[in-house]
Amino acid sequence: MRKIKVIGILLALMILMVQCQKSSTLPAEDYDDRLSGGLETVFNATSHAFSQMFTNMGIYDEHVHSVGDDVFSRSFVTAPAPINSGLGALYNNVSCISCHHNDGIGLPTAGESQSSLLVRISQPGTDANGGPLAVPGYGLQLQDKAIFGKLPECKVNISYTYTTATLDDGTPYELRTPTYTLSNLYTPIATNYMLSPRLAPPMIGLGLLEAIPESQIVAGADPSDANNDGIKGRANYVYDANTKTKMIGRFGWKANTATIITQIVTAFNQDMGLTTSILPVESSFGQPQYDGLKDDPEVADTIVNAVKFYAQTLCVPARRNTTDIAVKRGEQLFALGKCVNCHKQTFTTAVDVTRPYLSSQVIHPYTDMLVHDMGPGLADNRPDYLAGGQDWRTAPLWGLGLYETINSPGYYLHDGRARTLIEAIMWHGGEAESSKAYFSHLSTADRNAMLTFLKSL
Amino acid sequence: MKHKLLPVLIGASIFALTSCSKSNKDDVQTNDAALEVKVITDFANVLANPDYVDLQTKAAILNTSVATFVATPTDANLLAAQTAWKNTRAPWEACEGFLFGPVEDNNYDPTMDSWPVDKNELDALLASNNPLGVSDISSLSETQKGFHAIEYIIFGLGGTQKAANITARQKTYLTSLTQSLYNTTQQLVNSWAASGGNYTKQVTTAGSGSTTFATRQALFVALVGSMADICDEVSASKMQTPLLAQDSLQDESAFSHNSIADFKNNITGIYNAYMCTYNGATGTGLNQIVAAKNASLDLKLQTQMKAAIASFSTITTTYEKAIYTQQSQVKAVQATINTLHDSLDGDLKTFVTTNIKD
Repeated sequence: MRKIKVIGILLALMILMVQCQKSSTLPAEDYDDRLSGGLETVFNATSHAFSQMFTNMGIYDEHVHSVGDDVFSRSFVTAPAPINSGLGALYNNVSCISCHHNDGIGLPTAGESQSSLLVRISQPGTDANGGPLAVPGYGLQLQDKAIFGKLPECKVNISYTYTTATLDDGTPYELRTPTYTLSNLYTPIATNYMLSPRLAPPMIGLGLLEAIPESQIVAGADPSDANNDGIKGRANYVYDANTKTKMIGRFGWKANTATIITQIVTAFNQDMGLTTSILPVESSFGQPQYDGLKDDPEVADTIVNAVKFYAQTLCVPARRNTTDIAVKRGEQLFALGKCVNCHKQTFTTAVDVTRPYLSSQVIHPYTDMLVHDMGPGLADNRPDYLAGGQDWRTAPLWGLGLYETINSPGYYLHDGRARTLIEAIMWHGGEAESSKAYFSHLSTADRNAMLTFLKSL
Repeated sequence: MKHKLLPVLIGASIFALTSCSKSNKDDVQTNDAALEVKVITDFANVLANPDYVDLQTKAAILNTSVATFVATPTDANLLAAQTAWKNTRAPWEACEGFLFGPVEDNNYDPTMDSWPVDKNELDALLASNNPLGVSDISSLSETQKGFHAIEYIIFGLGGTQKAANITARQKTYLTSLTQSLYNTTQQLVNSWAASGGNYTKQVTTAGSGSTTFATRQALFVALVGSMADICDEVSASKMQTPLLAQDSLQDESAFSHNSIADFKNNITGIYNAYMCTYNGATGTGLNQIVAAKNASLDLKLQTQMKAAIASFSTITTTYEKAIYTQQSQVKAVQATINTLHDSLDGDLKTFVTTNIKD
């Protein structure tokens, strides 16, 4: 009896070992291409689709996520206050949710209570860490709001000029080119400043993007275009305020932020005027708006960590209609047009025994996490570490088809200039020039198939 | 790798089973669909629209009461304004039981109900000579507008406000605040009205032409998700934050001592959404879909909702005092709400995604 058992176990082991030698990608019959976020995919296509917590965490982790969710949606107020104290003196908005409506992409206006656009500023040159050089009196970000009795740094004015063009099949489209000007400056400003508008990006899947091994990202880089495909993806390396080291940039429109925690404390500091132990100095320090209070850090580490954890553990919505003929066709065209050369479909996150829910996930973010030259049309002409004035990080496309559901109407690109997917594609230039031309040449049916595919993401 | 296969296998077998049994259940499917459409239509017409209209009506009364108080600042008129404020909170907190759609997407919620209120900014603004007209306050941060800014002025710290203590500046500000709140409630009603944004149509045509809800299931997912969310927010946030901090100033409606009524109306909003009932009118609710397929789940949910609503009566003082003096009762209420939350977030979500298949 025992022998049979042993033989049975051995046989089972052999079968297992044979299975282990299979290629590391999932065989087709086990593969569900709806699962954009691996196990952290949520089947939800409502306006709350970007606000869903990972479902496979322990009770304590769920609690921490909820605490972060609370802080994310609650307003901050001026000091001293019993709760959420420390807003300002300079700020852009009073809560995270005011910019990240429904955890989605925001509204491309500035200075209103629901605006999601902020403007970075710097002057030519670099700081000690190779990053952008602050403008005296203004720092690295313009704050267009201030607490009572203090002056905002300025007002940001956005105007658009409109141009119309047609796709090859005669379909007209309109592009709007934004111009950003500053008025109501509180103090004279150096004339050689550079501006870069940045729209609040969606909050989904950030923990998964953070868990992609650096080696996988670097493996996709091709700065000298060795393979002659016209695409020269490069990794950005940036100073991380939390670890105080140079790290690979992953977040932000120019991949200028390495970690989620640094993204969070920078937003607290710059967008809301809230100090943390990582960034304990007010954004208004050295300016007349500085409050001079001894209440720093205003946001406790536990709160910072809860918000960080919240951002790390938001699900990615599942794709819809993946078996539709048009979606399948559009997916093929997306590959044929070489869109996937930058909007890379698949990564596998690193093994992480402390956080099994982020560990070894096969994810489909449709980004290579690298920066590319996108041409002069889209350029902000403001370098950010190794990302030049025409460079942008490939934006993840997961969740793209739900932007309109989550923030009606949807806006696209780093400053929300595009109002439709067609506009967003037609803004592509530089390394994406040939892919854009490919899209423009498509027949009506094929173009609609490609758009249907994008809407399924 | 192997464990990833399992859900797929289970999924495939469920699919196989359902596809095998579909053919002889066509008439059942038609009945299901008809019931689902009825529930969706009644949700819009019997609950959502009437709740928002009620909010607008009560906000109009609050606006009038404040005008009366400003014209004749007696303590009796102040009390009438305070009562009108509480009466406006009730339909608002009830509609938080289904917080999705324009109320969120068009930011009516933060415009009316941002919390905490920025006391320092309010005091500074009142001490200044800045203009306080309706258009002037539209540019203020959300933490200086809405329910809680009004509450701060008419109830005062600790709820001890006296008519004689309200300054001329405060009256001007108050007049603009209540007018602005009314305007927002009007926008909210219009966003659902056929003559306005017609979100009603997006709801009632879910799965049959709606651009917001591709399927009826998507609408039910949104509804149940919202019910679960507010449940969690009441227990884990609104009640828990001041309890843990042992600080009644961290209560959401601390000035008016209206916190318990707020909590209770939130949970009542969940019950309304499940049963499809508002102000005595009743429609066909989600409960009937559940009862048809899983009577014991329906019974469990109804029992837990009623228990959660009833549990608040065990707290015999204001929530501001209860966090110090009746902690065991507060924790028992939280436990009752948590039980309901787990059923909504688990059983009911699963029920909807399993049984509403269009």
